[in-house]
Amino acid sequence: MRRIALAERPDWRARAADCGFGFHTIDDAPYWDESAYYAFSLREIEHDIESPTEELHAMALDMVERIVGSEQLMQQLAIPEPYRDWIAESWRRREPHLYGRLDFAYDGRGPARLYELNYDTPTSLFEAAFFQWQWLEDQLARGQLPAGSDQFNSIQESLVEAFGTIARGIARPFHFAAVRDSNEDQGTIAYLRDCALQAGIECGTLAIEDIGISEDGRFTDLDDQVIGCLFKLYPLEDLFRETFGPYLPRSGLQLIEPPWKALLSNKGILPLLWDAHRGHPNLLPAEFDEGGALPRGWVRKPLHSREGANIAMHLDDGRELRTDGPYDGPCIRQACHPLTAFDGHYPLIGSWVVGDRACGMGIREDSSLVTQDSARFVPHAIVEEARGVLIA
Amino acid sequence: MKRSRTAALLLMGTAPLLLTACDRNEAREGLYTSVEACVAQTNDSSTCNQAFAKAEQEAVATAPRFANREECEASYGKEKCAERSDGNNHSFFGPLMTGFFLSQMMRNGVAANGFNSAPAFRDSTGGWQRPAAGGASGGVYRGGTAGTAMVPINATPNRAITTSRSGFGRSSGSRGFGS
Repeated sequence: MRRIALAERPDWRARAADCGFGFHTIDDAPYWDESAYYAFSLREIEHDIESPTEELHAMALDMVERIVGSEQLMQQLAIPEPYRDWIAESWRRREPHLYGRLDFAYDGRGPARLYELNYDTPTSLFEAAFFQWQWLEDQLARGQLPAGSDQFNSIQESLVEAFGTIARGIARPFHFAAVRDSNEDQGTIAYLRDCALQAGIECGTLAIEDIGISEDGRFTDLDDQVIGCLFKLYPLEDLFRETFGPYLPRSGLQLIEPPWKALLSNKGILPLLWDAHRGHPNLLPAEFDEGGALPRGWVRKPLHSREGANIAMHLDDGRELRTDGPYDGPCIRQACHPLTAFDGHYPLIGSWVVGDRACGMGIREDSSLVTQDSARFVPHAIVEEARGVLIA
Repeated sequence: MKRSRTAALLLMGTAPLLLTACDRNEAREGLYTSVEACVAQTNDSSTCNQAFAKAEQEAVATAPRFANREECEASYGKEKCAERSDGNNHSFFGPLMTGFFLSQMMRNGVAANGFNSAPAFRDSTGGWQRPAAGGASGGVYRGGTAGTAMVPINATPNRAITTSRSGFGRSSGSRGFGS
């Protein structure tokens, strides 16, 4: 794994505009960054990323089975009582899920270590699945990458295939919803909707704020049609505590991601996985946080936090880092395993699971140890190895 | 190869990433029972003929499969099923194609190049269905179901009077809710 500087495609902004990628620059700061790329060997991808991803995904699904059978575990994960039976039932019925992203610390010199599962509202999807793919094709065509370079990225193919597979199980009408004013989230649902259309599924989009409720407690769209299935790029735990939340369990509304994903997008899954698979090379030691001072070598994360917010980190050398954010509530502790710097940047691997298949990767790098929403998306390539030497 | 063989977009890029009302009419979709009906609607006999031929070709491979004629006719009606066989001399019964589905992207009122088509089948209750794309492979999910997923066409929506809106979406995030 290496970070390699490469000239940008001269026309990448036009390419972005052509495919509707509107959030490549956010608040005047670059988000898409192709001034460099990360080069991996095929072995690194298959052995260190792809195969652990599938294994951890399977371990996580097994854990759901355990949690839904235990009031005590539901309590530990701070799942609100009125939603527990509904969540358990959604698992028993195996309500279809679509995707998730595992975040790994990885530098090519040891096993990838799982930071967390983003199994409810993962983003950076369009960038990884489509725009990164186009970057590789363009740079290959321009002769800027070694011939035969590849990419760990069949995300789009897998998304279309997944939609096709679950099509029969999706209630109609089917809408994709996100908050109205987030360009990034709107871009992500526009992309997912595109993939669903490619699978032959009729579907629309809707602002999450526009969802209505009828007198008999069913959810409606702007045409007063009862929504059959809602893909919501909006955290389950936020839906739970908002005004319409209490209607969810009896509304008949199908959700993607389904309610049982609330058990996996919860950082409490990390100590549970560690407990069940202590010493697993891809897991970091983790425990529920009982309060008190954070010892050296540990990181504190709220059960629910996104974009690296509200993280406290006490490094081995005594330095303490803390990020701001809106989240509070119960926390977990995870052994501190800082990201490795590449040319002063800290890359975090986002490894995608679509359906149950590990199918691709996106890298976001930040200038600090905690990857936040200031991170930039940097493309990657798999480059040929010859005589044990990476050519690039 | 570890990457997608192709990655195309249908609607993204042809329209700004804005919401609902304005992005509804970019696809022209139709269900036709004959090439003639298709031409009458679209005035494009070349596309209609190609769409029909492609749908007919796919019909055998994507139609639901039944072990015997009785089961098939129970779902699709009397004399609406035919015996078929796959490449390995296994025979089964499947419904006959009773229509085809054509969708084209429209730009400024003109059909763009390329189209999607799919066979359509009418079940014994009169409802139309078509196979979901990719449904036959199913390899992306563990323990996926066998056979092709069928998607209802134009399911009649349920309506209900909305009494309030804006009950979701008030939690604040820095720039979105994805993670």
